[in-house]
Parts: sequence; C-alpha cells; structure tokens
Amino acid sequence: LVHATCFADASSSSDAALAYVKLIQHLAVFKGYKEAFFALKIAEEKFLSVSKSQILLLKLLLLHEHALHRGQLKLAQKLCDELGVLASRVTRVDMELKTEASLRHARTLLAANQFREAAAVAHSLFCMCYKYNLQVENASVLLLLAEIHKKSGNAHLGLPYALASLSFCLSFNLDLLKASATLTLAELWLSLGSSHATRALNLIHGVFPMILGHGGLELRSRAYIVEAKCYLCDSNFNVFENYEIVVDSLSQASEELQLLEFHELASEAFYLMAMVYDKLGQLEEREEAAASFQKHILALRNPQDEDDPLVSVF
Amino acid sequence: METDESSRVIPFQLQFDKPLASQIKIAEWNPEKDLLAMVTDDSKILLHRFNWQRLWTITPGRCITSLCWRPDGKAIAVGLDDGTLSLHDVENGKLLRSLKSHCAAIICLNWEEESQLITDDFGHTSKYEDRTSRFFPPAPRVPRMPGLVSGDNGFMDDSEDSFQELSNSSHQRFNILCSADKDGNICFSIFGIFPIGKVNIHNLTFPTFCDGSEMSNGVSNALIHKVALSKDLCRLIVTCSGDLVKVGDDLGEIQMVGNNEHGLHCLALNTAIFWNRKNELHQVAQQASNIEDLTEVVRTSLSVMCRQWSDAMNTFQEKFRSLSTLIINHGLDSSPQEEFLSLLGGARTSPPVHQFLVNTLGEVGVKRISKVLSGAGKELQRIVLDHLQPAVEVIGFRIGELRGLSRWRARYHGIGLDESLINNATEKAGMLLVQVERFMRVLSSVVQQYSNFFNWLLKCIKLLMSEPSDQLLPYNSELVIVFLKFLYEQDPVKQLLEVSETEYEVEIDLETMQRVRELVQFGGFADTEYLRRTLVKEFQLMELSFKEAFEMPFTTISRKILCEDILPLFPLPSLPKSSSSMWIPTSVSYYEDPSRASVPPYSCQNQFIDYISFQVPDECFSDIVNCICIVRGFMHDSDCLKKGYSSLEAVLLCVPVDYQCVDLSLYKDSQIVLLLNKATNTSESAGDGCMMILQVSDLPYVSMSRSACIDVWRLPELKDSVAYLNIGDEKSRTIRHSVIAPLAVSASRGVACVFAATKRALVYILEEDEDEVSDVE
Repeated sequence: LVHATCFADASSSSDAALAYVKLIQHLAVFKGYKEAFFALKIAEEKFLSVSKSQILLLKLLLLHEHALHRGQLKLAQKLCDELGVLASRVTRVDMELKTEASLRHARTLLAANQFREAAAVAHSLFCMCYKYNLQVENASVLLLLAEIHKKSGNAHLGLPYALASLSFCLSFNLDLLKASATLTLAELWLSLGSSHATRALNLIHGVFPMILGHGGLELRSRAYIVEAKCYLCDSNFNVFENYEIVVDSLSQASEELQLLEFHELASEAFYLMAMVYDKLGQLEEREEAAASFQKHILALRNPQDEDDPLVSVF
Repeated sequence: METDESSRVIPFQLQFDKPLASQIKIAEWNPEKDLLAMVTDDSKILLHRFNWQRLWTITPGRCITSLCWRPDGKAIAVGLDDGTLSLHDVENGKLLRSLKSHCAAIICLNWEEESQLITDDFGHTSKYEDRTSRFFPPAPRVPRMPGLVSGDNGFMDDSEDSFQELSNSSHQRFNILCSADKDGNICFSIFGIFPIGKVNIHNLTFPTFCDGSEMSNGVSNALIHKVALSKDLCRLIVTCSGDLVKVGDDLGEIQMVGNNEHGLHCLALNTAIFWNRKNELHQVAQQASNIEDLTEVVRTSLSVMCRQWSDAMNTFQEKFRSLSTLIINHGLDSSPQEEFLSLLGGARTSPPVHQFLVNTLGEVGVKRISKVLSGAGKELQRIVLDHLQPAVEVIGFRIGELRGLSRWRARYHGIGLDESLINNATEKAGMLLVQVERFMRVLSSVVQQYSNFFNWLLKCIKLLMSEPSDQLLPYNSELVIVFLKFLYEQDPVKQLLEVSETEYEVEIDLETMQRVRELVQFGGFADTEYLRRTLVKEFQLMELSFKEAFEMPFTTISRKILCEDILPLFPLPSLPKSSSSMWIPTSVSYYEDPSRASVPPYSCQNQFIDYISFQVPDECFSDIVNCICIVRGFMHDSDCLKKGYSSLEAVLLCVPVDYQCVDLSLYKDSQIVLLLNKATNTSESAGDGCMMILQVSDLPYVSMSRSACIDVWRLPELKDSVAYLNIGDEKSRTIRHSVIAPLAVSASRGVACVFAATKRALVYILEEDEDEVSDVE
C-alpha cells in the first residue's frame, strides 16, 4: 500500500483515494482513532471533488467502531442505520457493503447485550453469505456467533461455532482470522472452568506470534488479557514468582486499549492488575490500578456525546 | 593347550585393510550412516563408505584444523586455519555455507542436538509453524552471471541449490554447533549457520573460597584442546592447557597461583540458556538464517545487475565518445548533445556528425549497441523479477514474523529480541521494497528512451545514405530531446546500483516529497528522506539494521554463558608460546544417569554423567607413568557441593608395560576404546598395535576431594589406587601394524577405523567377533 501510494501520479484519482482509505483503516486498527481521524481530515481535503462516497463510507465505519469502543451505544445504532441506508441503495450490486452493514448491526446489538436479537441478525447474515459463497464473511459470522454465545454465558453453545469458524479459516488460509477464532476458543474453554486453563493457554501461545505481529490493537489486547487470565486460573502458576509475566501482559494491553478508548476491556485489564497487586501485597500499585479501573468504568457508563465534533455532521 | 587355542575367537571383526595415498590426521564417522570423513596431511577431505568406496573429495585450499558431523549426518562442518567454518553437503561435498565467527584457527568442533522433545518452563508446548511457504513460492536463489562457464567456479557452481537445503532448518531438531579457536574464543551457532553466542576463555572467571575469603580465578595463556556439549545442551566441558591465575580486585592485577602451574584443566560452562530458551531460539534462528540467505540473494542480484549494466553502458560510451573527438578535430566548439539537437531540428548535418553516423557508427553499429542495451535492460528486469523483488518481499514477511515474536516480551525479551530494533528493520525492509519498485520504473523509462534514441539515429543514417526508410521503427521527437538532456551523459540506473563512497543523492521533485511527508500521517515511514537514497544505499541501511537487530540476541546469550567450575588435572612443561602444544589423547562423553531416570523432564537437572578420559603424560608426575585417567561426575559436582558431598570420581589405569597409548575414545554404553602401540624395544614383534575395549562404569573409582584451594593437582591422590590393565583380561585384538592417531570410533554404528603408520586404514566391527582360522592378517 505504501509503495503504491508513493507513485500516486501514475494512478487515477479514485485508485489513489482507495489506497488512502485502506491506509486510514490500517491506522485506526493499529495506531488508534486519534491519528486515524486526523488522517481522515487530510484525506477529505485532498479528495474534495471525486471519490466522495468512499471517504464518506470510511468516516461512517470509523465513527461506528469508535462509538462501540467508547460504549456510546445510541450513537453506534444511529451510525448503523446510516450504514444500512447506504447499503440498501446498492441492492444486489455491492455484497461487501451489505455484509459489512449487517455485521456491524449484529455487533451493535451484542454490545447492547441484546443477545437474542444479535444472534438472529448474525444467523440471517450467515445464510446470505453461505448462499453467495462469501467464504471470508462466513468465517467472520461464525466467529461472531461464537462471541455472542460466549458473552451471553453459553460457552458450550459457542464452542461449535468457534470450531466451525476455525475450520473455514484453515481451508482458506485466513491466518489472522484463525488466530482470532483460536483466541475466542481459548476464552470459551477458560469460561468452562479453571481445569481447562492449561489447554486455553496452549491455544493462545500457539497463535501469539501471529496476533502480536499482525493483529490490531484490539486483538492484541484481548490476547494479553486472556493470557493473564489463564495464568491466574492455572493452579500450577505461582503468582509470587512469576507475576512480572502477568503484569507485563496487562500493562501492554492497557496501553493499547487507551489508544482505542476501549473502556470495557481497559477496565477489565486494570481490574486484573489490581487483583494481582493485591495478592502480592503491593498496595500502592493496587490503588493506582483501581483508580484507572474506576476511571474507565465511569467513562463507560457516562458516554460523552456532546464534545465529539465529528458527530455534529449528522 | 592346543585345545584352548583352537576354541579361541578374536574380537573386533576386521572388515577392510586398505592402503592410503596420504596420512590421515582427522577422521570422524557419520552419526547416521556408514560413512567416514577423513582429513589428509595435505588438507583434502575424503568421504568413504563403510566398504571403502570413495564418494567424493574436496580441497578447500587452506589447512584443515577440525571436522565434525551435523547430528543428523546430512552435513559436515570443517574448521580451517584462518578461522573460517564451512559446511558441506554429505551427498556431494559441495559448500553449503561459510561462517566467519573466528579470526584464528578452529581447533575443535562439537555439534550437539537436543536429546528429546522437552516442553518449556510451564509445561506448554509451543508448536511453531513457518508460514512463509504458504504465501510465497520457494525462496529465490542467487542469480547466475550469464555466460560464465560452469566449471570456473568449482564447487561454488552449484551453490544456488544450497540455500534451499539450508533453509529447511524447520525439519531439523534444535542443535548447537560449538567451535573453539586458537585464541580461546568459543562460538555457538544454531543449526551451524546462525551465530548466537561467543565467549573467550581468557575472560572467564570462577569463584573459589580460600582461607575464608572469595577469590576470582581464571586461566591465562590458554589453549583449548576439546569442547563437548552435553546432550541436554545445559553444560559445556572445555579441556584446555594454561596457567591458573588469580584475578585480583584491581582490574589489571594478575597473580600466579603457585609455582609451575601450567597444566591441563577442565572447565565447566553453564549453557543452560540454550535449553531454557530452546523454542524461542529455534524460531528466531530459523527466521533470521533465512533472512540472511535472502540478503545474500539481494546483494548478489545488485552486484550482477551493476556489472551487466556497466558493461552495456561501456559499449555505448566507448562508441559515442568518438563523436566528441570528431567535433574537436573539426575545430568546432559544440557538445555532442547540441549537434544532435541541431540534427533533430532539421538543420544541415555538420561534418563530424555526418562522419560519425555514416562511417564510425553505421547502421550495423547502431543495431549492435541497441541490441546490447536492450538485452541488458531485459536481463536486469529478469533479475529483479526473479531474484531481487521476491527476496525483498520474503525478507519483509519474515521480519514481520519476527516483529510478532519480539512483542512477546515474556518469552523473547530474555533472549535479546528487541522490539524497537526489529521495528526499525521492518521499516527498512519496507523502504527497500519501495526502492525496488522505483528502480523498475527508472529502468523501464531509461531502456525505452535509449531504444527511441537509437530508432531515431537509424532513420538519420538511412536518410544520409539516401536509402528508403519506410520500414523503420517509429520514434518520438520529444523523447529524443529528453534523452539528450538527461540521459546522454548521465546514467541514473548506474547511480542507483553503484556502491560509491561519495554520498550521491537522488533528485526528488517537490510534489513527490510533499506526498511522502503527507503519508507520514497515514502510517507511512517516519524517515521521509529515504527516496533520496540510492537502491544500493537503502540495501546497505537495511542490512545494517538487520545486523543490529540480530546482534542483540547474540550479545544477550553470550552474556549468560558463565563458567561454573574448574578442575586442574595435571601440570605440563611450559612451552614457548609460539610452538605448538603437545597432543594429548582426550575424549569427553555423556552417558545417561540411570539413577536419575525418574526426574521430571522439564526440570533442568543434570540427567547425564560426564566422562572425561585422557592420557597422563609421563613427564607430569614422577610416580605416575604410562597411565590413562578417567574422571566422571565433574558437572554434578557444583550441584552436589552445595549439599555437602562431592560426586567427582576418578580412576587411574596403568597401560600394560609393553604398550603405550596412542589414542582413546569413549564408546557406547559407558565403554572406552583404547589404541595401543607395542614398545619397539622387543625385536621379534616390533611395531605391533592393539585395540582394547573396557567398561568404564565398572572401574574402581576413587572419590576425589574438592579442596577449597584450587592450587592442588588432582591426580596424585590417585597414585595409590592405580588399576592395572592386562591384555588378556580385556576384550582386545592385536594389530600387525604400528598404529597412529586418530582413532575413529562410531558409537551409533559400532565400527572403528584404525590408521597404521605405514599409510593403511583398517576398519573393524566392534560388536562382532572373528574366527581365528579366517584371520587374513
């Protein structure tokens, strides 16, 4: 992408815009929203006349993702509706856009803890993807179904979906998605009881290089947190001797989640850190982690809709 | 008497007794196959089958100082006297790789493989997959210089196949090649190709407690004799000669421990980092060694392209330089470009141009030069597409994998995989990828403009010769102007390819520079000056960043290899530094400790007992003559001493009075093979040899004290408990030759090869006996 863009004079304006859109998406996934929105502003000025729809679509996607992470569910739903309008306008033509809109709809419902509705949307989406042979989307939707069941507390129902998604990933060489599915599988095993901690930890360590090397901030943070959970649940693990491993994982997770403003996962990371420091008897560090935990919980419960300048467009 | 004689059998079945062209100075059996590698006096390496069929011979051209096999038997490591370590293929002897970790002659080599699949610290097994082969075709090879006769390079001619073989290290189990040189450096490399550690024996110190205070001690004037890694890769035993010294609190203060302290010592080095971080080191070594292979592909590609393009441009410039001469000879003051521009503008042809086009160059000349340049352009494009670009892409992919590993700080920070250094290397690889893309565009443009220029020249010549020009290729007048302005006296392709001392800067237009700076906001490279660098310069920077990134694991691991213990064995007469040391038969081996079989495998316990056997020179002690010593339990000792007892044991074996020990070798199931020569004072059987096997685990060992003071030689303690060997009591066989070192024994195959002073090789099967009536001797 970078080297293609370096020779933008040789390509058409719409191709250049597409390259820039891809770059901004990568920026959001790997470096956080602050830099992504800044880059988006530059791109909007750069491509004023042509390719407006691409930039607009990108803006919607970024805002939706950001709202989900910050816990702004009403805003997320609103953006999702806008996305649905865009998708319905291109009936039968752009399956990617329809799939993306439906996927985000299900994820919004999941974030709002409306598990049954989320599962219904995901199932309907899976039928459509299966019908049109959208293999990558098939694996993604199966993984989403596994996450819905995991979050609703039905781990034993989520396992078959995670394994099915894993099977798709293996067939089509989708390594990063496979790592994500393996991570979800590990979480499902862990929620079935601490006796499965070793199995879950093995799964995570098997995909750790993939996630750390090529995964985004969210995926990496989730991997770090689940690894820490596995260590803490493992009866063979001695917290006093090896606490640096757990604290290091959680510290990396919290750093990256701040870039994403992902309050839910960040609060979880700080909660675990506080627990570890409490066991070790390091009260000062414990209070520090507890304060960060509380900060993120408050941010999650009181979304600040007013001071977001980009939202005022709608 | 006669009945006893007829029922006796002779041990060690003799298979072959063959003459040799040269005397042999090193011989090693392949650990997996019935193959014997030998180094001759004139530094050739021969590979023979068990049936003495010769497979190949190679001549490295330098003095060979050491040799050992890779544990899987598929490659052989050769140490040379200039410090080069070369790996050769077992099938045909061709050179696979050369390493230059040493600056002095490599005295000894030892290659050890992990003995069993061991889980990591927490009992988890990390299954690592090299994903590269799923996304990329097989790695590109070094481009061959076209037109080169295949015989010119000798073994290097087939070297392009070696990358494919060496890159298959994912099929190898984790192994460490340990090499030691004359200057006391000990180097470790994973798979024999990825340097991972280095220590110098003169810098090693080990603490001892003497008179209630702690002292640091070291060895000076050290000369390494042998190195041996344990099968669990946790310990390294080094036998060396040197002086024991005290390292005082002041840095430079060195004090001799006592009088006449030059002797043979055993050092135990802790190399447990190789076991503890086996999985991590395996993965890093695999990626890094592949990256180094591909870096070599890139370097060679750039070099070959530069040479080919220079040749083509010389052809062009050589021909067109004469136009300048013609212009001067005609008394004109213009440049060739101006003359060509006039010609293009329709002015009357000036006399020097006319003469140049019609007589000097001619139609044939234009076509020839055009073909040369066009061919060079195509060849460069082929090299980029088939070699350079795939190599850079795979390098970028592999460094991305290493970046993922480097972010796993709990596992990889401890072995020195630094995330910021790997990130820097990743960025440099990305920049090089952009540079390759730009080079292709520049090359395409340049080749096109040259072609256009020559088409125009051809038409001009046709016109001047008053010949029909309808069938000529079309040309673009504007391109000719651009060519004359920018390319006639400048060579952008050469500038990108040439290694120059002066810092040449590529000109970048303002629009491109603005776009590059803007891309930083979109996740582009923070270094916005990279497009000003040449392709070769960018490659050098990438190479440097990779070297820095891989230097960190090397430094980190080196720092963790420490000396644990020392065992002074016997004094040696002090020799002048420049002369070569006396050769002492020595063998070090590790056998499984049956009493510890139930120890959990993931615990780093010493599961192997070390056996150190050597000949005691007669000059060392007045009361110990013609003896062999076997020491065991040296490595355990440092652990046992903390529990209050010593595991160190030793035994002295007195060689029969008529014989002298020539060489010895430890063998399977705790046995030792001795090679003896009969003393020549007996006239009727002068020059006979003897080979003997005995069980070392059943000998009457004496527990050795571990005095806190290390200025005491250990062996005199044993002189009262010498065990005497008799030829008739042990499994032995007379050899009707005077025998010499080396003795080559293969524990895995049960064979031995003995060399006679009369340039003969005798191959014995140690596990089988031979009927006396069929004795061919």
